[in-house]
Amino acid sequence: MSSWLTRPITTRLRAGMEWFDDRTGATELLHKGLYEAVPKKGGWAYALGSATLALILLQLFTGIFLLLDYVPSVNEAYNSLDYLRSSDAFGAWVRGLHLWGSYTLIFVIGLHMLRTFLSASYKRPRELNWVSGAVLFFLVLGLAITGAMLPWDQAAYWTSVVVTNIPHYIPFIGDGIRKLLRGGDFVGPITLTRTFAIHVWVLPFLMFSLIGAHLYLLRRHGEFGAWVNYDTDPGEDEEKQIGERIRHAEPPYPAKRIGRRYAAPRETVPFFPNQLFKDVALSTVLVAVIFVMGLISGAPLDGPSNPATLSYVPTPEWFFLPLDQFLVVAPTNPLIAIAIFGVIGLGAALMVLLPFIDRSPERRPLRRPEVIIPALFMAFTVIFFAVLGINRLYNL
Amino acid sequence: MKELSRRDLMIRGTGLGMGLVGVMLSVPAIGFLLSPLFTKQRTAWVTVGVIDDIPVNTPTPLVAQVPVGTGYPTPPVPRVVYVVKKPSGETLALSNICTHMQCDVHWDPALGNFLCPCHGGLYDIDGKNVGGPPPQPLAQWNKRFHSDAQGRTVLEIENVLDESI
Amino acid sequence: MNAHLLLDSLSPVSGSILTNGVVVAVVILLHIQIATFITGSTTLAAVSEAISMARGDDRHERLGHMLLKSWVYLFGFGSATAIFFVVFVLSGLWAIFWTALQQITFWVLVFEAAMFLVEIALVYSMYANWERLRAHRRARLGLLVLLTITLWWQMFLIDVVASFMLTPNGGDVNLLNQVLNPTQLPLTIHRTIGNLAWSGAVLAFVGAFNYLRLTRRSGAPQPDAPAAMRPLRSVGAMAVGHLEAERRRTEILHWEWVTQWGVLWAVALTLLQPWVGYSYAKEIQLHAYSAWYTMMFGDLSNVFLLQIFLLGSVFVLGSLYFWRRMNRSGAPRARRQLFLAIVLILLTLLAVQPAWFAPTYADTVAAGLNRPWWQGGLLNPIGNFIPFKASALIGMVLFGLWSVTSYATALSRGHIKPGGSGRGAQRAALLLGVVISMMMLVMGVIREHSRQPYLINGEITLHQQITNTAPSVPSLQQSQP
Repeated sequence: MSSWLTRPITTRLRAGMEWFDDRTGATELLHKGLYEAVPKKGGWAYALGSATLALILLQLFTGIFLLLDYVPSVNEAYNSLDYLRSSDAFGAWVRGLHLWGSYTLIFVIGLHMLRTFLSASYKRPRELNWVSGAVLFFLVLGLAITGAMLPWDQAAYWTSVVVTNIPHYIPFIGDGIRKLLRGGDFVGPITLTRTFAIHVWVLPFLMFSLIGAHLYLLRRHGEFGAWVNYDTDPGEDEEKQIGERIRHAEPPYPAKRIGRRYAAPRETVPFFPNQLFKDVALSTVLVAVIFVMGLISGAPLDGPSNPATLSYVPTPEWFFLPLDQFLVVAPTNPLIAIAIFGVIGLGAALMVLLPFIDRSPERRPLRRPEVIIPALFMAFTVIFFAVLGINRLYNL
Repeated sequence: MKELSRRDLMIRGTGLGMGLVGVMLSVPAIGFLLSPLFTKQRTAWVTVGVIDDIPVNTPTPLVAQVPVGTGYPTPPVPRVVYVVKKPSGETLALSNICTHMQCDVHWDPALGNFLCPCHGGLYDIDGKNVGGPPPQPLAQWNKRFHSDAQGRTVLEIENVLDESI
Repeated sequence: MNAHLLLDSLSPVSGSILTNGVVVAVVILLHIQIATFITGSTTLAAVSEAISMARGDDRHERLGHMLLKSWVYLFGFGSATAIFFVVFVLSGLWAIFWTALQQITFWVLVFEAAMFLVEIALVYSMYANWERLRAHRRARLGLLVLLTITLWWQMFLIDVVASFMLTPNGGDVNLLNQVLNPTQLPLTIHRTIGNLAWSGAVLAFVGAFNYLRLTRRSGAPQPDAPAAMRPLRSVGAMAVGHLEAERRRTEILHWEWVTQWGVLWAVALTLLQPWVGYSYAKEIQLHAYSAWYTMMFGDLSNVFLLQIFLLGSVFVLGSLYFWRRMNRSGAPRARRQLFLAIVLILLTLLAVQPAWFAPTYADTVAAGLNRPWWQGGLLNPIGNFIPFKASALIGMVLFGLWSVTSYATALSRGHIKPGGSGRGAQRAALLLGVVISMMMLVMGVIREHSRQPYLINGEITLHQQITNTAPSVPSLQQSQP
């Protein structure tokens, strides 16, 4: 009798694990992932980032399930979703999860961005974290708008018409872009398949590549640490305090002196379990909200698409209300279209390139009026336009 | 001239190979992507209906089943044709596609204008943009008239608009 | 409307439309200037109190106290004008209209009146206990925030009545539709921002006025100060003079700071107004087309151009103030403000181009002169090109934003020297206060005048005839025609 038959099961499992670890280095990888130093302060704010990731994965998960039934064709799309809603016991719920997941995702990604902005985490050496994150934000918005076009009900059809028409105002190449998006002059069968491909392949592919880069950069430079961590005790030698902190720095924070802007957080804790607990707690709450809302509210489905209506108004999703209101106030003569695209393009460019504009080492919000004032202006504009948009649609 | 080493040859060869693959893949891919720019729309004339009973100066919406004309053939979709009879005897076949964001406009008797509810665009009875964001007048369908067996005037339209909007 | 029966029994009022209208204008414009200042400045005071708590900044504390005292003086007067307006002007001169409106918006007005009780209690208890509450600053801040909220709600409620008169939704008297009538939220947002800007402008005016008063005679302090002002007589003439100079210097510093604080609020918040105002105008266009036409193309279009001119002046005066301050302090990039001021002047000139040089467009067309001037007509090609004007407005906002941001940056970097203002900057601030005050008056005139000949648009005419010929929007078929 060979001994392997008589060995206790735990011993054998351990041996198996050792074999696996020897071949893959899994334990080391796990340790590297779990025991990294993160700032002690501000953990709940950092949980917004991981919640964003969790919600994106939730979208992937529910999206795959929707693909089991959905057909991207102008004749079948509506019927397939109608079937999902009426005949499939859990179909409406899954679609509700996908919709409410997207709402929550956009809300949380906005908060995550706001946190990063206010704490000035985008400054050296984390400029590219911000750039990749800002592009991710626009990709998520792109996913939201293409997703809204897929059901091919009334709302989706008219949303497709309006959304694919917007690029037409770009000077010189606008008409061409509209034709490419639509696959012709009018919204038709090619519009839906192109949108579907963009929603399911193009944008997610770009998004997951960028998420990889975003996470890699995060791990390379470490969590920034709330700006309070950079405060030094008054009355004491600032240089000495920072020197002290650097001496105790753990990776990924730099252990040698490169200047104040690289200073490590005052106190750090291991990622596991301190930070992971907060991450999981926040994500759980959010997923629970989506779980409930997906069931009780679900996702709406209008009547089948009908281009021959007289006064159908595609109500934009709440996060596009400010842009919709912008369309109302902005005249679109050729001349002004340039100005409008200039303003919106300038806003988007400033948003992505923020770290290269605001390069001072100053972290305190009130000491950065050069970015805080324009940001406040943008924020108020967005809020007021949203309220005014709701008001306009209510009184239509 | 510097002698080409074995190493340099391999480096250049790698670059060349990758470049070739890139060209070979991008030509059909980009061509495919841009194909809608060069594809002609399939045009067709469809009957809208009899327009004899439509009063003068009263924009009246009629519905025609219009083929989409691009992409693979799909069933025709309903489209609105606003028939406007002018006192001068001229008859307009306006599309109800707003020139702003291509929402659906309708004739609002109280305003005395065509109104686009999406963003508040206004057009007068001739389809001229008179208020709100629209940059151009309403487009017209390509139209022709003929008499049917009872001698009534029948409006036909082509599935293209008289200008690109 | 069940108001009909009651209204038929009322006899027509005496007095001409013109005199009655003038009485309304005088009383209501006076009331608006006071009420909006109080409403806006409570927010300012609450912000000041919060800053003063966080930073221990005495200037904010003093500012908050000054504002509180001003409310006590103004609140009674402002409320008195409101009561006079309701009791004598509306009930006396415009009885039929007012009875109808009062019945329609009954609950709104009840809550409106109830707010006065809360406000009076809050204002006077704060006034009486300001010093005592110094030990409980959170309570003081809490009271200020409460007052802010109360006043904001009061404004919200009166906005319901005011906007209902312009866009009554075809006389829809359902309470929710009343509250959310098409122009209610645009008006409320427009006024919320406007009140803050106006309060800032008042501070700028008061600060600049005091600064100019204190520095009227530059040079050495006055040696012959009144005897009562000399508490330390025994110390000697030199010391008294020194003390006097010191006190005067403190005062100058304080008022200079008040001006700056006010100018920043006034200009920064006015930056948001074109966006909101444009949306407001769009709602009027969609729901009260004739009123909109009067404002934009009709008799009021020239008044509206004045308003745009005043708007541009706010940004120009702001940048001039910033320029003088930065220049006198030797701050880097002070010339940028001058450049911005010039750009803003050009944009203002572009925006105030009248669309035509004739009273009304209809007249121009009737006279056959709707051609550009080089063809012998009356049309102004630049003004006629409306997109130019919208671009000019966008430009005004963006360059104004740049101007404010640039100054705030210099301020936060410590490039602005306290006490180094000079009188030029203060004169600009003084003018800014006047300009914003005028904007409030002009806007009031435009809003009240635009819906003529109606008092409630489409419902009651200026002659208090109930027409009920509301533009009856026929129900539009949703599906295929």
